[in-house]
Amino acid sequence: MLLQQILNGTVSGAIYALFALGFTLIFGVQKLLNLAHGAIFMAGAFIAYYATVQGLPFWFALLLATVSTGVISVIVDFVAFRQLRKAGHAEFAAIVTSIGVDLILMNIAQRVSNTKVLSFPFGTFPVKFYNILGLRTSLLQLTILGLVLVLVLALAYYINRTSFGRQVRAVSSNENASALLGISAPAVYRQTFFIAGALAGLAGVLIGLSFNSIHFMMGEPFLLQAFVVVVIGGLGSLQGAVIAAILIGIIQSLTIAYLSSELSTAIIFALLFVTLLFFPNGLFGRAGNYAGGSRR
Amino acid sequence: MMSFYYANQPLIDFFLLAVGLGYSQQLALRAGVFSIATAGFSALGAYATAILVTRHGVPVPFAIMIAAFVGIAASYILSVPLARLRGAFQAIATLAFVQVVIALLLYFEAFTGGAIGISGIPRVMNTGWLLLAVLVTIYVIWSINRTSVGRVFSALRQDDSVAASLGIPIKNYYALAFVLSGVIGAVFGSLRSLYVFNIEPIDFGFHAMVASLTVVVLGGRNTLLGPIAGALIMAVLPELARPLAENRGIVNGAILILVITFLPNGVGDELVYWFRRRMRRRNQTTALTPQPHKEDKHVIATD
Repeated sequence: MLLQQILNGTVSGAIYALFALGFTLIFGVQKLLNLAHGAIFMAGAFIAYYATVQGLPFWFALLLATVSTGVISVIVDFVAFRQLRKAGHAEFAAIVTSIGVDLILMNIAQRVSNTKVLSFPFGTFPVKFYNILGLRTSLLQLTILGLVLVLVLALAYYINRTSFGRQVRAVSSNENASALLGISAPAVYRQTFFIAGALAGLAGVLIGLSFNSIHFMMGEPFLLQAFVVVVIGGLGSLQGAVIAAILIGIIQSLTIAYLSSELSTAIIFALLFVTLLFFPNGLFGRAGNYAGGSRR
Repeated sequence: MMSFYYANQPLIDFFLLAVGLGYSQQLALRAGVFSIATAGFSALGAYATAILVTRHGVPVPFAIMIAAFVGIAASYILSVPLARLRGAFQAIATLAFVQVVIALLLYFEAFTGGAIGISGIPRVMNTGWLLLAVLVTIYVIWSINRTSVGRVFSALRQDDSVAASLGIPIKNYYALAFVLSGVIGAVFGSLRSLYVFNIEPIDFGFHAMVASLTVVVLGGRNTLLGPIAGALIMAVLPELARPLAENRGIVNGAILILVITFLPNGVGDELVYWFRRRMRRRNQTTALTPQPHKEDKHVIATD
């Protein structure tokens, strides 16, 4: 029972990690709180749903959702953030513009779905259960774990080992200096937004599939959780975000199983608060990040 | 005038409540504390009032006063950890505070009524009282702005290390700003509960947080006109967008993006700045000799 809960928690934590990685990436590189990230996540689930309903194969729907949410995210950057960055008011103003984007995307989704709760047709993903060491796992759970593992490793490789990753890290530590070195900051922003959006969209499809409910407000609780992941994992630490997300998934499934779901939220956010107090840079963040330092 | 009032009375009342919460939000931002805790304080104030009035028969004025003290206590306790954080991390910490408050309100069902909330609260507030509360708030903030405290707040926002180097005990002033924000938030939460008959935890969740922040960022973060202008836009927008019915979210969202992109200081602040620039220009053309020293004295105070 305990092990089963931990397994379930790990799977949902893995999906939170996909969502939170994009959020961390944008927050780490641009210091922006992108409140539209939840709506992009929701858009991913919607696109995949309508694609499968149209009769497209699921793997193609998944790919389509991932790429289109990436593109949507780049458009969001273009519409809501690019202008603010130029003017240098980003910190406060980005919150409001991203709320604006959030409203627009949610309204479109509400119109499209007529405020209904949608779910993927039965058999979209083969329903198979296995017993491994007495634990009940489904093919879906195993696929999610495998997919998340591959994506996280690929992202880690991309950020830490490639030239693009070095550009991202250069821009995140000092935009002007990296511009002097010939790095185009807008291009870096576009790419981080594409990756963040694609990861969020993919997470949306996986959540829609495993919880079997897709509706226009589904992004909000995940957005709030992403804050927790960002703080506990530490700013700009990708492996920290992954560990924190899985930790939160496990804590959540344990508290829901043994206590109550309201208390689970309280415990998770209390954990966030305590972390901020005693480890302002997160459990895995590097020292010298700006949580306790002075503002820009 | 009177017929306009009768036709739009609920709109006007909610506008006044939004202005009050906007000032609570603005006070924190003005002093450089990136707090979004206003929704949490108003939840504490609202629940304190509702529980005292409906269950214990406490007279309304005392209930409001106790709600104010709850706001002071909560914000003072919260200001200690908050002083160690900066920028977006303060926002996240205060967001966590609001989430914890909401989750606890849902959990202690016997005490708070859980998800159903508390109903049957006597409706004693009307437009007159709400207007009075807003005017008192404006007067208090206006007086603060005229003293050295207001100038310290502005200095903290612009550069806290400079303020510290000038010998200002910045943590005390951060705490002061935050406590003021907390007490205003709690009082307006309390007034709200005495206006709407019943309160639920959902009223104070993420949307409330976003709403009061939007009011301030749209209206302006520094001037007294800010929250009024912001609350006015947020009250009138849904009405203007009503013919568009189901596309209202799209219109609201687009207007938020456009306003912030082209008037980054907020509508109210931009108006005040424009007016000040105009007055200054007029003074310069009428006076034969420019008087630079007069300006210097208020550089910080007037931003």
